[in-house]
Amino acid sequence: MSKAAGTTQAWPICSRVLAGLLGGYVFTYALTAALAQLLPLDRVDALLIASLLSFTVYTLAILWAFAARSAWRAWAVVPAAAPLALIGFWPHLLERLA
Amino acid sequence: MMTAFLGSLLLAYSSMLALCQGLERHYKQVWGRAPTLGLRRVLRLAGWLLLIASLWASAQAWGWAMGPVGWLGLLSLSGLLLAWLLPYTPRLAVYWPLAGLPVWGAAYLLAI
Amino acid sequence: MKQTLTQSMAWLHTWGGLLFGWLLFAIFLTGSLAVFDQEIDHWMQPEIQQTSVSNAQAVEHAVAYLQRQHADASAWNISLPSERMPALRVTAGDRRSGISTYLDPLTGEPLVVRDTAGGTFFFRFHYSLSMPRNPGIWIVGLAAMAMLVALISGIIIHKKFFKEFFTFRPNKGQRSWLDAHNASAVLLLPFHLMITYTGLLIFALIYMPAALDSLYKGDFAAFYREHIDVMEEPHQAPTHPAPLTALAPLLAQAEARMGPLSGVVIEHPGRSDAHIEMRRVLGNRIALTKGHNMVFDGVTGELLAGPPELRPSVLAQRVMFGLHFAQFGGYPMRWLYFVCGLLSSAMIATGLVLFTVKRRRKYASESPLGQQLYRLVESLNVATIAGLVVACIGLLWLNRLLPVELAQRAGWEVRGFFALWLLSVLHAWLRPRLQAWREQLSLAAVLCLGLPLLSVFSDGQAWGDSMRLWLEVTVVALGLLLAWSVWRLHQPQVQHSERRVRHAQAQVN
Repeated sequence: MSKAAGTTQAWPICSRVLAGLLGGYVFTYALTAALAQLLPLDRVDALLIASLLSFTVYTLAILWAFAARSAWRAWAVVPAAAPLALIGFWPHLLERLA
Repeated sequence: MMTAFLGSLLLAYSSMLALCQGLERHYKQVWGRAPTLGLRRVLRLAGWLLLIASLWASAQAWGWAMGPVGWLGLLSLSGLLLAWLLPYTPRLAVYWPLAGLPVWGAAYLLAI
Repeated sequence: MKQTLTQSMAWLHTWGGLLFGWLLFAIFLTGSLAVFDQEIDHWMQPEIQQTSVSNAQAVEHAVAYLQRQHADASAWNISLPSERMPALRVTAGDRRSGISTYLDPLTGEPLVVRDTAGGTFFFRFHYSLSMPRNPGIWIVGLAAMAMLVALISGIIIHKKFFKEFFTFRPNKGQRSWLDAHNASAVLLLPFHLMITYTGLLIFALIYMPAALDSLYKGDFAAFYREHIDVMEEPHQAPTHPAPLTALAPLLAQAEARMGPLSGVVIEHPGRSDAHIEMRRVLGNRIALTKGHNMVFDGVTGELLAGPPELRPSVLAQRVMFGLHFAQFGGYPMRWLYFVCGLLSSAMIATGLVLFTVKRRRKYASESPLGQQLYRLVESLNVATIAGLVVACIGLLWLNRLLPVELAQRAGWEVRGFFALWLLSVLHAWLRPRLQAWREQLSLAAVLCLGLPLLSVFSDGQAWGDSMRLWLEVTVVALGLLLAWSVWRLHQPQVQHSERRVRHAQAQVN
């Protein structure tokens, strides 16, 4: 592994770690909620299946944060989470607005 | 139950052994010469068949729900045992299942 | 910076693995020991004998005792003797915090049994690091995620996955450590993936409550009621004293339906609103049936509820839990889990050692801070891998050495465990690397090999029953393994030519 390959730059590494752990968590949370709403199943089944898959999603999100071509791209998971959160929590939003 | 369990263990190890010997580097490691392509194919086929037999034996020991779980465990442990024995005692790695047969036979006769 | 996927994943695997490796080793080792938690509990309570007594008889003794001593308790709990746990134990009041007494299953008289942390300590440490519940659970969860990331990144970077499936080349220094790490990781991959993922699933709704928040606004109780048929609390009519129904026929009914029983819970005994819950032994099926029991009316003996039928999604969830809890399949399955768990711990250890072996030659050229950090890593390796083993076997020694009448005995055993571990950290920091390894592993080996002798001297008799014999034999076998490793460490270290070393380092995987 060559010296230049990510061993010396602290900020991009910190950024990726945060993007993976925190950004990845936010993304997974939003996607799980969205999946729970979208699955055409009973509430109990939807909850269990969405939760079952969530750790796979989180793992992939963390890997993405480090595989992404730049530290900025690593954070793409956060804006991607926004529409998913909307899908996941639209009933709560409607209640708030009504 | 012990009969099926020991049977599955011996079959699992034998399947790993056959698949391993189907690889050129490990065949050479034990026998000192390269295997022919035909022999490699036979060994690999035998390996897969023994694998399935091992699964069947596990299912006899535990039923078809728990059987696959136990089977995967036995495969993993057999593979590790094989990988560990090969560099130290390659001939023992190949021949010890034969010594295992009498033990299995005893379990079978005692019907445990 | 531009990197290939392999490079970025290698970096992640190396540093993520290092940072969480020590924690993961501890989690995997204590988890493996927890497979035999009840057997270890039994060894640590030498006052309890193995007896064979029918459930009906045991319950009769238990109820008679409870009637004499705790007639007014709000609930009676009876833990029945089982294959794994030969003790008959009664608790008056809440099951976890009430007054507990051990009874002799043959005579029904109370037994004086030493207070001990037991094998249950390893179980609790495994999922909560002995910390107050939630912080510990979160840290373990984070470590489990790190394990998943390490597994997947490891697969991605291991180019010769099938070619080197069975490859192990000993006595070649760094190459051998890498081979050992690869072989134990690849060959046990189904186990690693399964045990890590199912572990996370157990506390899924704590770690990832998104679906609960979205569908139930976070109301877990509502979800629980919907997915398991929970018996509704009957309306509060005034209660009056009423005799408890005969338990033997209910026991028979429950056993016929659910298989072996682990216990009986009687709520409001002697009152008209009494309920009797028959709890089954876990492990008749893979699915974890914790809490899925039969409930009877305490006065009439009528079946009120259970065992609940599980819908497919709930069954799937319970199977996932069951795969982690490893209560199914009898002793052969339990041994498989134990050995696989120990080998997984070894796999993590080889990774930690590999990290230092790879970099050892270049320590002299590092900055002073770098050198101190590497020294820290080396010490933590010794303290976690060897030191934790010393602490674990030390717990068993403390169980026999601490006075039986000591107040809060269990707490002192646990303190002793952590004290031993802390001492090993200090020892590892102060001693030169090789000596630290040799000395700590030697201590661990001596403690393991000496366990049967300890048994004889502290009890005045050897092991006592077959379960304790098996435990001591296993510990001695592990002791022999440790002794062998100490012997290996006394052999001359492997020397390499510079060229070979550079070639080995070029192959990341």
